Amino acid sequence: MKILIAQLQFDFRRLVLRNTSFQLFTVLMPVGFYLLFTKVLITGTLGEKAQFAVGYLGNMIVYSGLLNALFGLATLLLHDRERGLVRWLQLTPNGICSYYVSVGLVTFAMNLIAVLVLSGVAVAVNHVQLTLGQGLGLTGGALIGQLPLLSLGVLLSFIDRAETLSALANLIVFPLAIISGLWWPLGVFPQWVQVIGKVTPTYQLNQLLGALMLHGKLNLSSLTGLMLWTLGLIIVVASLARYRLKRGGGVVQS
Amino acid sequence: MTTIIQAQQLDFSYGSHQVLKNLTLMIQAGEIIGLIGENGAGKTTLLNLLLGVNQPQHGQLTLWGHQPGVPVVQTQIGSMLQGDIAVQGITVGDVLKLTARHYPAAFAVPTLLAQLQLTDLANKRLTALSGGQLRRVTFALALVGNPNLLFLDEPTVGMDVTAQRTFWARIAALKTQGKTIIMTSHYLDDIQQVADRIFLLRHGQLAFQGTFRQLQDQYRQVEIVAQTTLAASTFNNLPGVTAVDLTAGTLHLSSEDGDGTLQALVPYLPELHQIVIRRESLADIFVHLVRGASA
Repeated sequence: MKILIAQLQFDFRRLVLRNTSFQLFTVLMPVGFYLLFTKVLITGTLGEKAQFAVGYLGNMIVYSGLLNALFGLATLLLHDRERGLVRWLQLTPNGICSYYVSVGLVTFAMNLIAVLVLSGVAVAVNHVQLTLGQGLGLTGGALIGQLPLLSLGVLLSFIDRAETLSALANLIVFPLAIISGLWWPLGVFPQWVQVIGKVTPTYQLNQLLGALMLHGKLNLSSLTGLMLWTLGLIIVVASLARYRLKRGGGVVQS
Repeated sequence: MTTIIQAQQLDFSYGSHQVLKNLTLMIQAGEIIGLIGENGAGKTTLLNLLLGVNQPQHGQLTLWGHQPGVPVVQTQIGSMLQGDIAVQGITVGDVLKLTARHYPAAFAVPTLLAQLQLTDLANKRLTALSGGQLRRVTFALALVGNPNLLFLDEPTVGMDVTAQRTFWARIAALKTQGKTIIMTSHYLDDIQQVADRIFLLRHGQLAFQGTFRQLQDQYRQVEIVAQTTLAASTFNNLPGVTAVDLTAGTLHLSSEDGDGTLQALVPYLPELHQIVIRRESLADIFVHLVRGASA
């Protein structure tokens, strides 16, 4: 346990406190988008604006989670491998297990921070009212919904070149954000795009959060969709990890 | 003496490429072993096996009687491998403290930093360090667990002269403490100075294992340097002479029979000045061996 605690302190320091790209891209950028779309680029009645401010909070929480998983976690795992940290920890008596547990927990913590900051801005600036139940539901839903996105991040981290990973992450994040309706309503897209969009995990998560915040209800079909995505991606990640392990190769480079 | 590493008839291949062949060796506690060989000779692969990163396809390998890589073995090992840790957002102190947590008898980090003259770097980010500084930090990481067995793979690459002196002083101190060290380096002069025994790997096989003196005796090359006005052809057919070079009045003779060549040179002594005779260094022998193997 003392090793896990030391690893958590180590990772929290480097991934949260001293990580400008997390602070800027995962937290401040979604906050910026939230303010832009709810305070500047918005029309309608007061009631419509208030409802949009609640619904769009969910969108930006999902967007922040997407950035955290596909840019943050995927890049982190690759860099730690490339820059010798994984190799180093593998050679310690206790091995690498505490590293992976810690990275998982700190990634959830990063997501939690983003949810709290976004919700805080929504409450303070847009006077969004959330009951304690809604707040807890929002946080829990966001963390559960993070599972398939984090699995996707782990999958991406198997790419061995940073340039390829970055290009692929860009190719996934922005189209995924658009077709799952995080930036604009899904209804503005052609029918076939809507069909694809509704299958994505980000859409399912957005629906889950929207139902919790706007109606105080648990959307079971979205939750099921997210669980299926998680299960499928975990199977793919585990298979790939086994294949890579079997393929072997020394930790120490020749 | 206690045997801590025992390897018998080890074979290891990457796919169809056999890297280590029928390797048998024993290492005693307190020895410093210089592991040398050309690139691709199998040095790093052998280190990988000793660290438990890979398993041999055939043969037996034990450290203190255990399989490599198990926790009871890893707590006694410190390793300084090629490539340093350079993750972002982490200071030298952070990574040393985390590593120390993994070992039951670890050194106090401030004490170790002071001993290695790294105190000034304690709060510096790893990404802000130079290559030589990173190498010194990697050495500190290898030592922080207070290991009994150290693997040092090209330890002094990138270090400046002062850092190298501190490093070698520390190695000398570790030897007096009875630590066992297995070291690879392309700086063969360093290996020659410090190693109790030398393991020479060639094409995955142990071409030599023994002391440097034994290696010198096996490859009895002698180099004779002198100033002379005589022609190079005078020396071509002297006993044992393998190479003659005469440039700007400076003669270089290589001989595989030092005594025979020196006796044959006696008649020419009045014409030879500033004579220097030296036995081959480890680097010289290594070059001969590699040339001989590739010829």
